[in-house]
Parts: sequence; structure tokens; C-alpha cells
Amino acid sequence: MNSDQGQPTEPARTAATSRNRLVDLLLGAAPLALAIALGVVPLGVLLLESVELGAYPDFGVVLAGYRAVGSSVYLPVLIRSLAVGIAVTVGCLLIAYPVTYWVANHCPPPLRVAALVTLTLPLWLNYVVLNYSWVWILARGGLLNTVLLETGVVAEPLELLFTELSLAIGFVYIYLPYVILTMYVSMERLDRRLIEAAHDLGAGRIRVFRDVILPETLAGAIAGTLIVYARIAGAFATPEILGGAGNQLIAQLISDAYLQILDYQLAAALSYVFLSVVLLGLAVGVTQRDVREELKQW
Amino acid sequence: MDEEIILEADTLTRSYEGAAAVDELSLRLRDGEFFSLLGPSGCGKTTTLRLLAGLERPDTGSIRLNGADVTNTAASDRATNLVFQDLVLFPHLTVAQNIAYGPARQGLSTADQRSRVDKLLEVVNLAGYNERDPADLSGGQRQRVALARALANEPSVVLLDEPLSSLDRGLREELQRELKRIQRDVGTTFLYVTHDQASAMRMSDRMAVMNRGRIVEAGPPEMLYSTPSTPFVAEFLGDGPVLELPAERQCGTPVVTLADMTIPVADDEETAHPRGDPAARTVMIRPEHVTLGEGTLSGTVVSTAYRGYFSEVTVRLPDGTELMTRGPAATWAHGDEIGVRVDRAHPVEPDVAADAD
Repeated sequence: MNSDQGQPTEPARTAATSRNRLVDLLLGAAPLALAIALGVVPLGVLLLESVELGAYPDFGVVLAGYRAVGSSVYLPVLIRSLAVGIAVTVGCLLIAYPVTYWVANHCPPPLRVAALVTLTLPLWLNYVVLNYSWVWILARGGLLNTVLLETGVVAEPLELLFTELSLAIGFVYIYLPYVILTMYVSMERLDRRLIEAAHDLGAGRIRVFRDVILPETLAGAIAGTLIVYARIAGAFATPEILGGAGNQLIAQLISDAYLQILDYQLAAALSYVFLSVVLLGLAVGVTQRDVREELKQW
Repeated sequence: MDEEIILEADTLTRSYEGAAAVDELSLRLRDGEFFSLLGPSGCGKTTTLRLLAGLERPDTGSIRLNGADVTNTAASDRATNLVFQDLVLFPHLTVAQNIAYGPARQGLSTADQRSRVDKLLEVVNLAGYNERDPADLSGGQRQRVALARALANEPSVVLLDEPLSSLDRGLREELQRELKRIQRDVGTTFLYVTHDQASAMRMSDRMAVMNRGRIVEAGPPEMLYSTPSTPFVAEFLGDGPVLELPAERQCGTPVVTLADMTIPVADDEETAHPRGDPAARTVMIRPEHVTLGEGTLSGTVVSTAYRGYFSEVTVRLPDGTELMTRGPAATWAHGDEIGVRVDRAHPVEPDVAADAD
């Protein structure tokens, strides 16, 4: 200890400080241990599983899982999953922009909470039930086809279920609430007078959107994207229930590798490749300070 | 109709949930004048400004700008530009981009935008600030940028919504002088909305006093201050009580009597009472017409307020009336018995509610 001899209280204070520090350390250690046990340990186990360490030094076998990912049907599915994730996210943003703008600016204030709860209702319900509700609506003998047939709009029932369309509808329906909530925070914070100022200076509607609304809410849009796109790309239930046999997504392949093929190394490697790609996207996103601020609210 | 009228609002009404924020308001601005719309908060002056800017639509009434009806013209197509109360500069744009925003929407070339920005920055004394971020500027500098942005489209009328109210006194007064100078330099009509009568009187060529969605009186500041027609304007623009006093005519001069003191009434052609000589008149007594330490009447000092180079003194007359005056600081103290002289009283008509001419 390096305390000043001229100040008799200094050693005592230092002792108290180090005691406090010990208490802090113990208090901090418990949640940290929990986080490690729940987060890092499973991921570590998964990482070990993705490599066949026993085959060292034959790297061809050690990395067989990863080699399979790169040189097979799996890569196109991975790319397709990410593409679906991005496309559905863009779809959600296209809907969320006008909807949240309306709720934040034109919805009568007493109805605002009701509107938000209604729009985010799927959040409160079971994920699998939500998917099956669309089966019930889109099936050959489902609600939509029945109505269309009865009203004479179509002569034959439409093939809606197990298509790209039903997949897209299901995804948008389930993930739109997340995007709406994220966007709404940005939209509500957007200073209406900025819109008025742009308008007053001669900007039309499109210019106002481009020059004021978009830049002021972009961070919220990116935050919403980061929150949902990985979940969509890695979704299992929705493609399983609403997607066709021909358009599987990565999570279904991982599940198959574990449960059908029983190739744990491949499954773990697939998981890790997917995780890395998702983390890369997140890392790019959080380099933006504004986006970090938005994400902190989650 | 006068040829030089640039903006004319005719019986504008705008109600919110049944309550009229602006109630049959008529207003005419002359080309190149500095006009203030003055009134207590909630009197409808900001709504009036938003109606004129096109950010709100009137329920009834019309607005003419440069002789053309613009009542239903969008804000983006009106030759008016606003300086918002909180300025509302675009946070993601530089100073130059903020100012060039309007000209860019009008389709000016980049070179023309640039030269206009440079010219305006010079006008508002911020030359060389082009690439600065508005967030890094001081409050006063942001005010100047907001003004430059509003002038950039060369509007017929600049509408200012109390932009200076958030500044401290010294800076506010400096910017008021600046605002007046800039207005004179560019020659654009300014409509300045404020609740602060001192700033309105300091800057305006003409002004209108508003209350409850209506204009009570309009005219040059000195006219409204010294010869208001209504008690509301008398009390809003200056100190001194409005009293109802016994009136008569002595040697042809109208006078009122206050606690045995005879005070001449400053009637003139316009304010002379139209219905002959009534027995009682409503008059205003401004502090500058009250002198202490002289006169036959005696009063008691009931309060003094130190205001720097002068003190505000309230003196109570034997009949209970309280008059206000100003005198050299720290001359009189609470409880002093002193002589009071009132040089004149100005008549006001309680029922007159004049519209702006």
C-alpha cells in the first residue's frame, strides 16, 4: 500500500475502499458467472462440437464440418435465409414507416396506446399459434379462399399456403410489431416542427420525407432491422409451418442435421457460420452511435 | 385599399374544439414595415402566425399576399417564411445547407445557392460559418442562422414567432437591435410575434395588441403607449392605473378629479369624448405624469422597487388610490409622506375594440 504517512486516516480509508471493492467484486461476480454459464459455456461447447479435435493434426477432418458447409447445398440455403431475412425486414420497414408516422402524428392522442397495442398484438400471443392462424386463413379450404369462392372472385381455390407468399405474410405478421415499436420511438421523438420548417421553406411531401423524416428516423430503422433480420433468417417455426418443402431455411437444415442426420459436427458448424454472419451485421450496425442509442432501449 | 399593403388578413377565424383561438382577426401589413403582434400568452398570436404561414387553415376568412388570395395555398408555395420560436434548424445539415435549403427547393443552381448563402451570412454577421454544425453554435448565432434561412427564399414577409424569448436580457437586446438593422437593410416586411411589450415597442414601426383571438388596437408604438383607446392596451403596454374618475370641464378644458386634485385630461381630436361631457371618465395615469415631492396632495409611499438607475415608487393617496411613478433610486422609502402632483390623465374608452387599419 502506498498511503501518505502524514494523513492518519488514509490507511483506514484505503482499507474501507478495498473492502468495498471486494463487496463490489462479489456482487458483480454472481451475475457474471450466470452470464458465462448461460451464454459463453453453451457457445463454447457448440464450438468444440463443430471441430473434430481428436483428428488433430489432420485439419481436413478437424474442420470437416466447416468444409461441408462451404462445399455443399448448405451455402445457398444460408444465403437464401439471409436474403429472406433482409427482404422481410425491408417489407416490415415499408409498412412500419407510414403506420408509425400516422400513430405518432395523426392518431388522436387518447387512441395512441390503443393503436400501438393493436398493432403489436402478435407480440402477446404464442409464436406457433400465430403461424397456424395463417394456415387456417390461407389453406385451400381456409377463410380467405372460402370468402373469395363465395363472392365469386375466383372459380378455383388459390394455392396460397406453403408458398413464398405465405412465408412472407407469416414473417411480416410476426416481426412487424418489433419493427413498429422500434420505429415508433424514433417517430415520436421526431420534431414535427422540422417537417413544418422544411415545408415552409418550399419542400413537398417527398422532399420532407427524404430530407427530414428519413435522416431523423434512420437510426430507429437500422435498430429495428438489426433486431429482426437475424431472427427471421434464423427462424424455424414459420418456414416449417408456412413455407413450402422446396424453400427451407437454415434453421431447418440445422435441425435436420441434429435430429435426422445426427451429424452434430455439421450442425454445430452450420450454427457457427450463421452466428458469425449475423454478428458481423450487428457489429457493422453498432459502429453507428445513433444506432447504439436506439438499441439500448431494448 | 392602399397599394403598399403586402399582406392582408380578413376576418380570420380558427377554432380548436369549439374555442376560437383566432376570432375574426383582420390585419394589414405595409410593404417593408416591422410589425409586431403583441399579446399575452394564449391570445392567439402564434395561431395567427401559423395561419399566415400556411401551416394551419382558417375556418373562415381570407389571406391575401401581394394582392393574390393565398388562403388555401400550401406553406411550401407561399412567399412567407417562418423563424420558429425554437428555431428548428435542421440538425443533420451544416449552417450553409440550412440556409440553402429553401433556395435549393426553388431550383437555384449550386453556384447561386452558394452566393446567396455567403451574402446572407454576411448580412447576419456570420461570414465564414458555412461549414459549421448548428449544434456547435451559441444561442445568438443559431438565431442569426434561423433568420438567414428564413430570408433565403427572399420572401415577401418574414414571420417571427418570439425567436428571442429564450435568450438572456443582454443578448436579447443586442439581437433586437440586429434584427431591426437587418430588417432595414434587406427591406423585407417582418411580422414579429411576442408577449414582451418592451421588445415590440423597441423594434416596431407599427404594432397590434391582441387579446382573446382579436386585435384590440393597432398603430405605431408611441401612439399605442401614450394614447391608447382601451384599458387593456393601456395596462398591457405600460404601468399606471386605469381609473374611473368624476369629470367636468373647467375653463373649456376637460378635467377629472382625483382625491381633491384636478387633473387635466389630454383629449385630442381623436380621443375627445363623442357624447359630450359625461360625469365620469375612465382615464389612465402613466408614471411619467406623476411627480413626487411637489404639489398640494399628500400621499404615502407604500412600496419602492429598485431598478438600477431609477426606482419604481407606489404611492397611496388619501382616498386609497395607488399611483405609480419613477424617481431617482433610493430617494424615498416605505412609509414616507410626500407631496404628489399629477400633470395629466389620458382618457381610455372601455368599450372600444378597434381592428387594425
